[in-house]
Amino acid sequence: MKYDDIIYLLPLLSVGVGAVVLMLLSPIKRFGIGKLAVVTIFFLGFALFFNALNYGVLYSVYPYKDLLSSMLIEDTFSGYFTTIILAGGVITVLVGTHYFEKSKMLRGELFSLLLFSVFGMLLLVQSSELFTSFIALEIASISLYVMIGFQKNDLKRVEGSFRYLVLGSLAGVVMLLGITLIYARTGSTNLLAIGHYINAHPDENMLLVITGGTLIMITFLFKISAFPFQNWSMDVYDGAPLPVTAFMASTFKVAIFGFMLRIILVDFQQFKPLLNHILIYITILTLLYGSFLAIFQTSIKRMLAASSIVHTGYLLIAFVSIGSIGEASATSIIFYLIAYFLSSMGAFGMLSYIASDDHVRVTYEDFRGFSHIRPYMAAMMGIFMLSLAGIPSTIGFIGKFYIFVGAIETGNTILAVVGILATFVSVYYYFKLIALMYFYPSSEMTNVPPLKGLPPLIIGLMAIAVIWGGIGNSIISYFPGVDFLIDTAKLAFESLFIH
Amino acid sequence: MDIGLLSIIIFLPLLVSVILLILPISMKVTRNIAFATTIVIFFLSLSIFFRFQLEGYMQFREFHPWIKTYGIYYSLGVDGFSLMILMLITTLIPLAYLFLWKTKKAKGYWASMLMIQTGVTGTLLSLDMVLFYFFWEAMLLPVFMIIGIYGTGNRIFSTIKITIYTIMGSLFMLVSILYLGVKFYQEFGIWSFQLSDLVQITTLSNTEQVLLFFGFMIAFAVKIPLFPFHTWLPQTYSNSPTGGVFLLSAIMAKLGIYGIVRFVLPLFPKQYVEFAPYFVALGIFGLIYFGIAALMQQNIKRMFAYSSASHLGFITAGIFSLNAYGMMGAAFLIVAHAMATGGLFLLVGTMEYDLGTRTISGLGGIAKKAPYFTVAFALMLLSIVGLPGTNGFVSELLIIMGVFKYSHLAGVISAITVLVAASFMFWLFQRAILVKTDNDVSGMKDLDKKEIIGIFALAAIVIAMGIYPHWFLYKIEPTIQHYLVDILKVGLH
Repeated sequence: MKYDDIIYLLPLLSVGVGAVVLMLLSPIKRFGIGKLAVVTIFFLGFALFFNALNYGVLYSVYPYKDLLSSMLIEDTFSGYFTTIILAGGVITVLVGTHYFEKSKMLRGELFSLLLFSVFGMLLLVQSSELFTSFIALEIASISLYVMIGFQKNDLKRVEGSFRYLVLGSLAGVVMLLGITLIYARTGSTNLLAIGHYINAHPDENMLLVITGGTLIMITFLFKISAFPFQNWSMDVYDGAPLPVTAFMASTFKVAIFGFMLRIILVDFQQFKPLLNHILIYITILTLLYGSFLAIFQTSIKRMLAASSIVHTGYLLIAFVSIGSIGEASATSIIFYLIAYFLSSMGAFGMLSYIASDDHVRVTYEDFRGFSHIRPYMAAMMGIFMLSLAGIPSTIGFIGKFYIFVGAIETGNTILAVVGILATFVSVYYYFKLIALMYFYPSSEMTNVPPLKGLPPLIIGLMAIAVIWGGIGNSIISYFPGVDFLIDTAKLAFESLFIH
Repeated sequence: MDIGLLSIIIFLPLLVSVILLILPISMKVTRNIAFATTIVIFFLSLSIFFRFQLEGYMQFREFHPWIKTYGIYYSLGVDGFSLMILMLITTLIPLAYLFLWKTKKAKGYWASMLMIQTGVTGTLLSLDMVLFYFFWEAMLLPVFMIIGIYGTGNRIFSTIKITIYTIMGSLFMLVSILYLGVKFYQEFGIWSFQLSDLVQITTLSNTEQVLLFFGFMIAFAVKIPLFPFHTWLPQTYSNSPTGGVFLLSAIMAKLGIYGIVRFVLPLFPKQYVEFAPYFVALGIFGLIYFGIAALMQQNIKRMFAYSSASHLGFITAGIFSLNAYGMMGAAFLIVAHAMATGGLFLLVGTMEYDLGTRTISGLGGIAKKAPYFTVAFALMLLSIVGLPGTNGFVSELLIIMGVFKYSHLAGVISAITVLVAASFMFWLFQRAILVKTDNDVSGMKDLDKKEIIGIFALAAIVIAMGIYPHWFLYKIEPTIQHYLVDILKVGLH
């Protein structure tokens, strides 16, 4: 082994230590939001740096195997997801600080909570054991519950927080039950051990494992707001402060898909056909219901929340394909997650930059004539909308392209067709925003902050990344483009099967 | 990376437009630079025209890997058929700019026009299906902007309508493209979306072929538009600004036809032959239906919209007539129609600019006020009607001969229906231009110098093509023979 195991754990540790440090710092008056943000970025950046050390290497390590009894696994796969989650944290801080400063709701603890949440997500994608994953999920969720309801004088926030708390805990309990059932049958909660057990006993009755697996699946379907567990998401997303919504809708989803992929690919490969029967219906209904919800929203935030359900549906399409073309569709999920992450983080980030004061409601109407006041911001917002809608020359198109190709390749043409129909409907609600921004002269958004400082720069970079990811690397050779992302995703996929 | 001539033709306008948008310069400078760019493009394409070999195959190929994982290539090429449309585009656009010169629109208008040009030429020259789809959709965005921002009337509704229609059509095509790609992968074990590769697929069942055939046809039918897919047309045309409607009618509609010949024909030759009778019938039906609809219009732009659709029906009948006459005629009519309709829309645009009206009942007696305008208008109109000596005549004659060869009945019907076009055009000319009425047309100015240059350059081509068609046809002949003999395997005569 090249490094000591500690190197692999440093990203996780750094975020964890950072969370504690911030918790201690936050009551001190001298540390304003700006300074705390810098400290947060420092810890996240530290983690990113150590995570990047392993970039491009195919590895799979159980750090301190005996001490931690193989509950954590560090491989290219988890490294890949760690990068996205950390980036999500960084972007949330960079874009959100402006919002937090304006809304006067922020207490320094929010950064601590954010880091705890990131910590939970990192633990989730690195866990190779069911209880660890449960604890990770709870750490991530509990921090989020508090972040949502942080502004306790706002009833909407408190309601969202409570709703998520009650339902989320219930989902957690279901998962716990699932883990217990699996343990009852296999005698282990370690993913690898469970996998071995299932493979070694092909003829036995696996009802307990299947039931347990289904229950765990339900928890995750709940967390990614797939049909029929999606009802909480609209109000919770709407109730949360914008940067928190952004963080939940994109980063948390990435983390959960990361873990789901690991479970499905490593563990429950055998039950995939069985699972697919249910998943196909879930996918179709998720797509249809999400599209239906999204059409009727008048607030951009709610529209993005509803469309996030639709994007879950697209991801599930690829999920269904995993059984027969594992590599391609796992890669397409990983790629799509990046695409969705960039586009939605950008859109939410832009919203939170504009709506720094909560007096400005962000409805479609508020965007009337936006391009005439803030042309560059409108252009960026337009790019994110195009990407979410999957229009060519954006990364969203390439993402959908892979997913639909995968669905057709596995013979699930019907899923591709439903996905395309959902795309078609999505054009309506995404283009409505573009139309409103560009086609009307007047505007009531006079108190929009000008393009200044770091947040717009970050959002602008994301907009460029969205375009770059859609056009790829044919313009400048040897510059990372679409193929680079795919290759990285493939490497991540391969690392799952080293052990 | 080496960049070929075709890439420059495609991307120069985009590059210029992005730079123009970013730089803080005035509208006038933007316009002049945009115009200069189109002139440069014109000369570049002219050099391609003269260096083009008389063969039926792709030339000036450019081939670079783009997304290797899925075998998607940046692959360009030009053959006789696309060369002709390329020349059409690059000639028409600068001439149109002369007409749009005085529009008091913002920078965005000119930038969008340039972006549309990139989308259009990119669509025309790409040989990879994903690349094609890429441009096909990208072409829509600036159109969306140009109608939505600079249009008139109920512009937002028509913008949304055309967007939803065309995207719906394109998505059907996207599924079909993906399906073909997957089938190719399953048969040959590698990914490719190259047209030349996809035509080699042998494992498609008949049902699959028929479904895919229609998947493509819907996308193209919406763009053309063919009969049941036309409902976006009248509103969009009458609410678009002059530049937008010009590009939509003169160029983008042709790309629908182009798509059929370029992709549907080689990919599904069997279905192409099998369904040809229906499309000939549909084309002729459209010819009559839209002709009659045009007769009833009060709004001149709407009338031209229908007249344009009527001629596109004619072109459709031509390309499905499965013989050299019909195909050549269709190719010829694509050019002729683009020039005549494009010219007419530009002329109506200036009239609307001066008078603020475009209803026939609000006009009259323009001939006295604006003689140049009247002459130009008459010339374009005669080409549409198909007067001998104009390119309209040559193309209509060829198509009618082709359709006649295909089916006597269809030939007779199509020959007679040319009268419909004649009647609405002459009626319009009489009521709106010639006869003096009580309406006040004193605001009407005659064409200025730039416009005269623009329209008479166009008219010169219209007449030259009418008198000496060979010079325009010989470059495309080998391509059409290649299509008919090698792909469709039908005899030449």
